[in-house]
Amino acid sequence: MPLVGSAIAGAAIITPVLVVLWRSFTTGRLGFNVGLNIANYVRVFGDKDIMAMLGNSVAYAGGSALLGTGVGALLAWIVARTNTPGKTLVELLPLYPILMPPIMKNIAWILLLAPRSGILNGMMQQFFGIETPIFNAFSMTGMIWVFGLACVPLGYLFLLPVFLSFDPSLEESAYIAGSKPVNTMLKITFPLAVPAFLSAFVLNFLRGLRSFETPVLQGTPANIKVFVSRVYDSMALEFNTGLATAYSVVLVALSVITLYFYVRATRFSDRYATITGKGYRVKVIDIGPWKYLTFFLVFIYFLVGIAIPFIVLIVVSMIPYFDYDTFMKFPTNAVLTNYYTVMRHPSFVTGLYNSLVLSVSIALVTVLAGIVMAFTIYRTRASGTRIFEFIGTLPLAFPPLVLSVGLVIIFLGTPLYNSLWALGIGLFVAYFPYAFRNASGSIVNIHKELDEAAWVHGARWRHVFFKITLPILKPSVGGALFYIFIEAIRNVDVAVLLTSPGREYGPVTLFEYFRVGQWAEAAAGGVVYLVILIAAVSIAKFAFKMKFSL
Amino acid sequence: MATFLIAAAAPAAEKAATKDAAKDQKPAAKAPSKEQVRKETSSASATAAAAKAFEKVSAELYPKAKQEGNLIVYSVWDVEHLKVITDAFMKRYPGIKATYWQGRNPEIVTRALTEFQGGQASWDVVLSDNAPPVIRAAGAIMNYDTVQRDVLYLHDPTMPTVSLQVQALAYNTKKMKPADLPKSWEDVANPKYKGIVALDDPLRAGPLSSMLSGLKTQWNDDNRYSNFVKGLKALNVPVHQSTSAMFRLVISGEYSICMPALLHDVFEEIHKGTPVNYNKAVPPVVFPRQAGIYVKAPDPNAAKLFAEWLISEEGQKAIDSVGRETSRNDFKSHTSIEAAFGKNTKPIPVTDRNFLEDPKKWLDTNVKPIWG
Repeated sequence: MPLVGSAIAGAAIITPVLVVLWRSFTTGRLGFNVGLNIANYVRVFGDKDIMAMLGNSVAYAGGSALLGTGVGALLAWIVARTNTPGKTLVELLPLYPILMPPIMKNIAWILLLAPRSGILNGMMQQFFGIETPIFNAFSMTGMIWVFGLACVPLGYLFLLPVFLSFDPSLEESAYIAGSKPVNTMLKITFPLAVPAFLSAFVLNFLRGLRSFETPVLQGTPANIKVFVSRVYDSMALEFNTGLATAYSVVLVALSVITLYFYVRATRFSDRYATITGKGYRVKVIDIGPWKYLTFFLVFIYFLVGIAIPFIVLIVVSMIPYFDYDTFMKFPTNAVLTNYYTVMRHPSFVTGLYNSLVLSVSIALVTVLAGIVMAFTIYRTRASGTRIFEFIGTLPLAFPPLVLSVGLVIIFLGTPLYNSLWALGIGLFVAYFPYAFRNASGSIVNIHKELDEAAWVHGARWRHVFFKITLPILKPSVGGALFYIFIEAIRNVDVAVLLTSPGREYGPVTLFEYFRVGQWAEAAAGGVVYLVILIAAVSIAKFAFKMKFSL
Repeated sequence: MATFLIAAAAPAAEKAATKDAAKDQKPAAKAPSKEQVRKETSSASATAAAAKAFEKVSAELYPKAKQEGNLIVYSVWDVEHLKVITDAFMKRYPGIKATYWQGRNPEIVTRALTEFQGGQASWDVVLSDNAPPVIRAAGAIMNYDTVQRDVLYLHDPTMPTVSLQVQALAYNTKKMKPADLPKSWEDVANPKYKGIVALDDPLRAGPLSSMLSGLKTQWNDDNRYSNFVKGLKALNVPVHQSTSAMFRLVISGEYSICMPALLHDVFEEIHKGTPVNYNKAVPPVVFPRQAGIYVKAPDPNAAKLFAEWLISEEGQKAIDSVGRETSRNDFKSHTSIEAAFGKNTKPIPVTDRNFLEDPKKWLDTNVKPIWG
């Protein structure tokens, strides 16, 4: 049964991928049929610039993934395992930055770090007399900083359940053997979190490889060209989805290589099982005076992750225009016209409602399907299930616009086309890798002895799945639900081709301000959106006692 | 080969003569010169003829369009703008329900042509700048010549030009004095502007590449064109792939000159009190925004009616009301070329069909070898 479920989910994912792959051999410029050929691939592999671009992409994606996953892991460890003061606050602070979409961070950090007009460089000049710009948003470091911050939430949500479900006997053995806390952390705690860390790293790396907005906004002015820009040029300049797919195949190859290393690194999955049949309580480590430093670190992340960019956006949304002098005059020059514009947006209410309903449904379905697929790979005896490891991650290798073309082609001429169902399936395909990698990273940490005990007693798969695996995975399920809901509610790239005339989908219209570069209106829209989400998360957390991995 | 008929050329020459005549007769300013009378009569008669032609075609198309009952528009325009415009259309023509889908140009082309190849009768009109010629090149646009052609700045006999994208040389008024501004587009390549110009990426089929196409056609001088591109390259300034983001950076003071900005953005910012302005002495580059009618349109009469209505006085008013530039040369608006740049201005039209229909190929031939 899990195999059937995985096969259905796999088919939903692989079908649009196969469609676009087929078209890469049969399509030239849109509107012109060219017959079966390999012209697109000849062009891709004859492109002299791609090695340099791939080098930039790997540096950018690798740097961002390392920064984001590393900081996320550190935060998760601080929250789950240390006696850092202000527990409630410390639990919440790393969550809020998840709510801020990467493009909002891009704009806020450009306003902060632009060499000549940036707020921080302006302050350096005004208060310290430093004329030479110190910060530069338009650089590889600037790109890695901004996208790296956007990668932190995924690292945090993937690692937190692992640290929360840690069998303390492993660490206690180290202490008995005379190991110091730092040594124990480095040699026992962190190595056991390797599968979840790698899972988050792989996802963040692949997100970085195909991310487009940061390279366009921050990389182009610095003449840093990344590989994915070739994919977008194929779509935007040549209108050739076949060529775009052929370029995407290079990303698929990179994904396969990345996944190969992941699978190799976690092939002895039993070694990483920290949840066993023994009962225990997770031990909080007393880190002494270091707890103030850890609190400070969490707070610093909260500041750079959301507070500072959010404040910048609030100010930008309320001043007549942005330059350093006008920014510094706030609040004497505050106006609310941008909020008025956003609230009057024709799609604001209906679009928000549609996207809320759809995002909640998609998060539930996707997370459940991800767990079923991970369960099939790691907990069933069916052969060849490792192929799902690849299929489940595949959508991440395709830029959203390429993937959604495949979906459009599948739905064309069916009653699903131009319906919310098509949009839902599109979002399912786009976010499945997050659900799946989250589940597989966590399931590896559950020792098979728990399942085996159930099998021995004659349990069927559904008993094992619903009574053992799912309850143990509850913390990571909460995190994945939360993450996919947040991502889906602001999705534009996949949704745009699948929305129909007259049927509004909130993010597509609200985030249009970002897409067209109306920063003040975009900031106002972003603030409204963030306030709604923060309110929703806080209500869910406090009123309904809902847990997001915590 | 250019398919556009530049309807502005003759009136512009006329305007020049008018201005000269007016100058000569300054002492008797109140008495209109013969030239003025002729121009006004001519213009007024063109306006009257266009209005009459519109009323006739509107009366013919409306009953059929009403029977169709729907109108589906794909557009790059802001949702707020589309709503205002389609609401005004539905008010004028009760019984036709207009819906729209909004996306960026690559998304419009992708969706429209994927549906075309899939045999879907799913949309009626595409309302955009870059997308319609590309869709037409694939054979997905029905030829339709507007009956109001005589009042248009840019006329294309296959797709009605309903609005214009107007490029202006904008600058930050806190950073630049008007006297120090470049005197022409060509002057931007002057080395003295090194480091202060925000340059649109000339290889991305954005406004700068449209401008290059327009200038190349107008100059018809390969050496001059090549030196201009080389001069821009020699400025060694960062290039940007988002015109709007680049414009915001000019406003913020990161750069002083925007090469180029879109006129409606500039006006919107001036209206807000932003320290930005544009050099009126530099002639604008104008790019057609067209209403392309789908060959498989489920509601072809509604589509034609919509295209005609957009060019009518009433439609142009709706377009003007959302801050977009109008396409008629007789429409009085603050964004019209005459009002924004002066009576004698000769805009630089982007009319090269090779560029419009296959920008990548044109850029690979005409920009990449020079730019590198």
